Amino acid sequence: MMKFQSVERQSFFTRLDFRPKLLMVFVVSIIAFLWESPWMQFYLALIVIAACLLAGVRWSYIRTILVIMIPFYLILLLTHAFFNREQVMVLQGYQLAAQLSRIFTIPESWPLVGGGYATWDGLAYGLNVVFKTLTLTMIIPLAVFTTEVNNMIVGLVQAKVPYKIAFIFSSTLRFFPLLVEEFNAIMEAQRLRGLALEKMGVLKRVRTYAGVAVPLILGAMAKSQQLEVVLQAKAFSGSPDRTYLHESVLKSADYTLMVFFILFFILAVYLIVAYGIGTFGGPL
Amino acid sequence: MPDPITVFKDVSYQYPQSSDFALINVNLEVYEGEFLGLIGPTGAGKTTFCLAFNGIVPQFYGGRFFGSVTVAGLDTLDHPISEMARYVGMVFEDPETQLIATSVENEVAFALENLKIHREEIIERVSYALSAVRLAGYEKKHPHELSGGEKQRLAIAAAIAVKPSLLIFDEPTSQLDPAGAEEVFATAKALNRESGITIVMASHSAEEMATFADRVVVLSQGEVTALGTPEEIYSDIELLEQNSLRPPQVASTFYTLGKKEIAIPKVPVQMQDAIPLLVDLNQIRSGDDYAIETPPENKGKPLLSVKDLTHVYPDGTKALHEISLDIAKGEYVLIAGQNGAGKTTLVKHFLNLLQPTQGSVKLDGNNTKEMAVSELAHRIGYVAQNPDHQIFNATVGDEIRFALNNLGFDPEEAESRAMESLEAMGLGGVQDVHPLTLPKGDRARVVISAILVMKPDIIIFDEPTTGQDYLGAKQILEISRDLHQQGKTIIVITHHLYLMPDYADRVIVMGKGSILLDEDIRTAFHATDTLARTYLLAPQAVLLSQELQKINNEFPPLLTPEEIVDYFS
Repeated sequence: MMKFQSVERQSFFTRLDFRPKLLMVFVVSIIAFLWESPWMQFYLALIVIAACLLAGVRWSYIRTILVIMIPFYLILLLTHAFFNREQVMVLQGYQLAAQLSRIFTIPESWPLVGGGYATWDGLAYGLNVVFKTLTLTMIIPLAVFTTEVNNMIVGLVQAKVPYKIAFIFSSTLRFFPLLVEEFNAIMEAQRLRGLALEKMGVLKRVRTYAGVAVPLILGAMAKSQQLEVVLQAKAFSGSPDRTYLHESVLKSADYTLMVFFILFFILAVYLIVAYGIGTFGGPL
Repeated sequence: MPDPITVFKDVSYQYPQSSDFALINVNLEVYEGEFLGLIGPTGAGKTTFCLAFNGIVPQFYGGRFFGSVTVAGLDTLDHPISEMARYVGMVFEDPETQLIATSVENEVAFALENLKIHREEIIERVSYALSAVRLAGYEKKHPHELSGGEKQRLAIAAAIAVKPSLLIFDEPTSQLDPAGAEEVFATAKALNRESGITIVMASHSAEEMATFADRVVVLSQGEVTALGTPEEIYSDIELLEQNSLRPPQVASTFYTLGKKEIAIPKVPVQMQDAIPLLVDLNQIRSGDDYAIETPPENKGKPLLSVKDLTHVYPDGTKALHEISLDIAKGEYVLIAGQNGAGKTTLVKHFLNLLQPTQGSVKLDGNNTKEMAVSELAHRIGYVAQNPDHQIFNATVGDEIRFALNNLGFDPEEAESRAMESLEAMGLGGVQDVHPLTLPKGDRARVVISAILVMKPDIIIFDEPTTGQDYLGAKQILEISRDLHQQGKTIIVITHHLYLMPDYADRVIVMGKGSILLDEDIRTAFHATDTLARTYLLAPQAVLLSQELQKINNEFPPLLTPEEIVDYFS
């Protein structure tokens, strides 16, 4: 029986309340959106990944995310290097395309793409986007994997998220692994009836995987009805008017972190507005 | 007689969009402190009956409801389910879907939180409930980390934490191995006898019901057809047979002896009541001329050959340890052992679904590690435990044709083979029906049919009787016997040993990843100490035979009630 991905060891992050972590996700996401400097974005992504590793998020998980994202990152970098000219010109106050620093130019004689050129400016902007998405993908596991699901519910409810939504969120985390198991069981059953996945092309394979959706959804619907009966028998009505075994009490570390992120946010916005730090082509 | 805590008065119920009534004119009183057993074949209405106690039927499902159910004086129609949940605790069949929290203590606390119990009291009650089911110390564990029996005990703890007036169990042991089932029965018994909690339990486990229940009610097609003490119900073999129910083997043995005009003072339903009767029984015949069948010596060239097989899962769990065995063509092999003994891990190597960490598995001399799963599936049919995980087509016909299409049969031949396979399985006429709309027993037959259409030489049935009632289990095993008689090699994994003497020749008993015993079925079933090492219990007929051996040294090692009856008649 697999379990939802969560960190195995106790750390500073696991001891924190979910609310400062929510604030952290919020602040870091906004800043990742605001900043456009590739260097600043690089440092932010680096810090978030380092924090993930410190918190016990497995390297294999981070590596999987990177492997999945690499094709998208390559496309992003190429498109920005070759085609993002107007935006980087506006951001840097350039009047002429000639002001952009070229990496190389494709010889005119080449059909279709001849005369096209890649710029360092476009590439830098592409890097900014790459690191931005990396930060956004890694900040969520940092908050979610380091929080026990029940603490997440209590934290969400205390952060004024409606109880029903918090419950749906936690049930998804609880039952997602069951769905994965069921998917594997169906795929195994198909192979046991002569389905030769190894001899299939990518398209046919994708079609086979997609075909599993129907029995999977039917199975999930049957399970969700069972779950509803179980919930009814446990006096669940979805009402927020209930008590909690675990109280979510903010400790000094939680307050410190919240103050830190609020100050960090104010400082980041101030530096952008006053000195242009964090902007594309800005001082850093 | 104590006061009734629950009264069913003229209760009839019809699910929405169903033409049949699930409950018909049920009149029943459940008394405070009693253990009421509920038995009946699949589809008799047991789950509906259980769900009527807290008003889920009809409040949640809708439909047409007649009569009344009162629990602790409250009419289930007049009070919301969330209020009835204070009085009625429920434990369901599936250990996976009924646990909703991500830690043991939160699971127990969940209903209490919903009932707005104060935090301090929740803490006290969680501690009480976990101690009552012997799970104290497990508070912070994730329910996934528990065994099947522990999960069901946790579900019981969650139910009793509410301090309900009565506790309803809907087939709580059908998905557990014998060790898990025993944990659940022992916990239910302790709660009933020591804490006086009223219990209603639906179960197919005849031997346990006969031991623990104060009264047993028989439900058939929605109607109460009998109600009495376990002695009255389980000794009435004709009643049980009419309702496709299995009697405890001691009861069927003595009942049949009585039919053969052997003087039997009464039909016992528990082992302990049968033992005193054995001395008199032994006087009837010395048995010196009784010959038992010798097991067939079928050791031809091995079809499957396992050598020094070790398997270690990625998390470091050593699931198999240097297993070596040969299975010859035409054998019928039973593999038994507690959950986690390595049975499924072993057979998955036959199909290359798992690869050996060390050692090898060969099919006809070819290493299975080097063969594709799809290629092996053509030779070895594997019927996995839950039929619903093996159904993925929109019609029964498509389900059967799936394998044939993969194997490249032309449509005409595929069609004729599919029809032949469906007819052979008694499924003619349902080829256009969605398989998931069929009853459980039929769904299992669809899966078997979809495997057999590939005409494999070896067929593996992995826990085929789990979740099936007696009739459903027997039907599947009859199919396995037919296939065996056609010359197929059959491997069955089950812990329902009492079902197997009519079918299996050879038994491999596994425990903690090793083979504890590999013998003919008679020798294996009588090795009760070895069976106990992997939490298996020999059928009552074997235990009776061993009790008779204590009285008479020369008593042969018999296996079934029929053999005991033959011996004495």
